[in-house]
Amino acid sequence: MLRFEPTSLPENTEPLRQEVRDFLSREGAHLQSRNSDFTTGHDPAFSAKLGAKGWIGMTWPEAVGGGECSFFERYVVTEELLAAGAPVAAHWIADRQSGPLLLRFGTQAQKQQYLPGITRGESYFSIGMSEPNSGSDLASVRTTARREGDGWLINGTKLWSTDAHRNHYMVALVRTEAPSDNRHAGLSQILVDLRNDSAQIRPIKNMAGGEDFNEVVFEDVLVPADRVVGEPGNGWQQVTSELAYERSGPERFLSAFRVLVEFVRAAGKRPSPTEAALIGRATAHLLALRRMSISVAGMLQAGQSPDVEAALVKALGNDFEKLLPEMARLAAPDALAAPDALASSGALAVPDPVTSDDRWQTFRATFADTLLLSPSFTIRGGTREILRGVIARGLGLR
Amino acid sequence: MSTRQLLIETAEKIFTDHTDKQALDAAEAGQFPEALWRILEANGLHEMALPNSGIALADVFAVFKVAGRFAVPLPLPELILGNRWRGASDGFVSVGLFQDPDAVAVPWGRRADRVLAVSAEGLRELKADTVIAGTNIAGEPRDRVSGSELQLLNSEEDPLALLALARVLQMAGGLERTLELSLRYATEREQFGRPIAGFQAIQHNLAIMAAETAAAIRSADAAADALNNADPYRLPLEIAAAKARVGEACGVVAEVAHQVHGAMGFTYEHELHHVTRRLWAWRDEFGGESYWQQRLGSALAAAGGDALWSFIASRD
Ligand SMILES: Cc1cc2nc3c(=O)[nH]c(=O)nc-3n(C[C@H](O)[C@H](O)[C@H](O)COP(=O)(O)OP(=O)(O)OC[C@H]3O[C@@H](n4cnc5c(N)ncnc54)[C@H](O)[C@@H]3O)c2cc1C
Repeated sequence: MLRFEPTSLPENTEPLRQEVRDFLSREGAHLQSRNSDFTTGHDPAFSAKLGAKGWIGMTWPEAVGGGECSFFERYVVTEELLAAGAPVAAHWIADRQSGPLLLRFGTQAQKQQYLPGITRGESYFSIGMSEPNSGSDLASVRTTARREGDGWLINGTKLWSTDAHRNHYMVALVRTEAPSDNRHAGLSQILVDLRNDSAQIRPIKNMAGGEDFNEVVFEDVLVPADRVVGEPGNGWQQVTSELAYERSGPERFLSAFRVLVEFVRAAGKRPSPTEAALIGRATAHLLALRRMSISVAGMLQAGQSPDVEAALVKALGNDFEKLLPEMARLAAPDALAAPDALASSGALAVPDPVTSDDRWQTFRATFADTLLLSPSFTIRGGTREILRGVIARGLGLR
Repeated sequence: MSTRQLLIETAEKIFTDHTDKQALDAAEAGQFPEALWRILEANGLHEMALPNSGIALADVFAVFKVAGRFAVPLPLPELILGNRWRGASDGFVSVGLFQDPDAVAVPWGRRADRVLAVSAEGLRELKADTVIAGTNIAGEPRDRVSGSELQLLNSEEDPLALLALARVLQMAGGLERTLELSLRYATEREQFGRPIAGFQAIQHNLAIMAAETAAAIRSADAAADALNNADPYRLPLEIAAAKARVGEACGVVAEVAHQVHGAMGFTYEHELHHVTRRLWAWRDEFGGESYWQQRLGSALAAAGGDALWSFIASRD
């Protein structure tokens, strides 16, 4: 049976939380995003301000620019940023994933070269795992890197690499040895300089209209030998080593949060029973998810590896992120289709989100943004089906 | 050993002996579990929430979770909280909610020595004049009691919220049990030459149950802990959130559990329904999800959209 122990954030997180809120109230110009999805809002100026506050690489050693804080302190900063809809995409992956990877497996020289820039909020990373024929089955990647003189020669195609056209580096998972019976062997992680190496980066427009993810093509791209992260051949162990961090954070259940905030604003101080019920229901879900997520943070802080619990938080959280807009639209039918028009003409009148000035205007825009992004919630970072498989393994079923 | 652990182990020991399938069937057939009631009395469990018991209320509620796991065929929370509100323990006390102006739905009202009635106006002790036997959909006695008021009980507490919280803990225990039964069944039952747990569809269904159950247990424990650490504004809202969230989990978990069990789980002979029917009944008792969602939502709306996040991001 999976356990989520009650876990309290330490007291010292309260002043920090207040500091983040004060900071955000001064930075309103950066808070124009209508959603709380962590991948929308690539704002280098904002990331640099966060870096100056010491809020990137918070848990890392001081020697590389880190703050030597606890995971709980990082948790508080990140959840406050997401809840406010702050633009965190630029530094997010570097802070959550690539930095910790380099810290754990990188050479001293790599740490000195890459980490301080990340903590300053000036150096951004992308993930190069997926390929045209490798999604959930990540171990099947075909991109290769082979020794060429002093360096590595990379060939293949990475797909869906978020912000590769805006960021500085990619950590690519590549095959450095021919496939063998052990399909997890022979993989390596290699750093690619997205601006100076000769990889071709082509943005792919998503269904919400954004151009965030990319195809990255490698045709005989030569990189120096010191770009390999950790031991060559150790790539699989490295990419799977930090899954609990990647899957259990507040970004896994807050992507649709602004929909709820705008709903409460629009419903006003005296909501209808249906509106009140939606607010109560969604909040009940959020309280539970946040407590479970903090419970996982507690296990991580204690040095455990709660991979199954993290997968469960992500699966449940992602489902909630999709459920929230659906619940909200049913609770506020008038917000999306004007009933008067429905009664008189029989035709469905969809209010124009830009010109109409009713109280639901901002809600409508946030709802639309979030609904259009929502298919990605249960796909990115491990699909719902893959996560359920992880949970089933944790239950002893496979 | 902590007080809570001691209480839980005592309760587990008693319930293991007195809540087997036969005992649950007998209670549903209308036979009051006298032996169980007497042993609870002998162990003093019915007195553990008396004002001078020295036991924290959150520890008492931890026992309700155990009771839910075992589908205990006695209204343990009503008994224990009824004694608390009367400030005494003499006889078998039960507590019900006013259904309409003149009648209360009382667990085992036909057997109760004392009947307390909860309404918006407060808590009253009734002199039972007429008792009409009835049950909820789990076959638990919910008798219609009408009578005259004996006394108005003064309680600083919100009886409806505490009884709702008791159901929350019972449901959490029942959900845990339902998941256990389902995991066991899926690994034992074989079709197509292997345990059905080997099929991905079954694995995913069980994963869904595990996630809902984990969320429900975390919600229930947090609301029980709120008895110790929440302020008077927050406590009923934590209870509201828990009743809403846990009630929602019951529908999902009961549905999937029966799907996994196939026809066997649809028989009266199987034990599963004693738990799943209770989940269906308990989610509606002392306010269903809609009621508590609205109570929580109204309070949050009154505080305004910009205050929502700080309510959620509380430090437990
Ligand atoms: C917005 C967005 C951003 C992304 N950013 C990045 C990025 O920056 N870097 C990066 O490397 N990748 C990124 N990805 C890719 C992401 O990691 C993959 O989409 C994901 O791993 C799933 O792979 P796929 O899309 O190829 O789906 P597939 O693996 O082809 O799956 C298709 C469907 O089949 C199901 N399925 C697959 N295998 C099984 C199985 N064994 N059992 C049951 N069902 C199964 C899946 O659950 C899914 O429903 C991003 C994706 C999105 C949507």
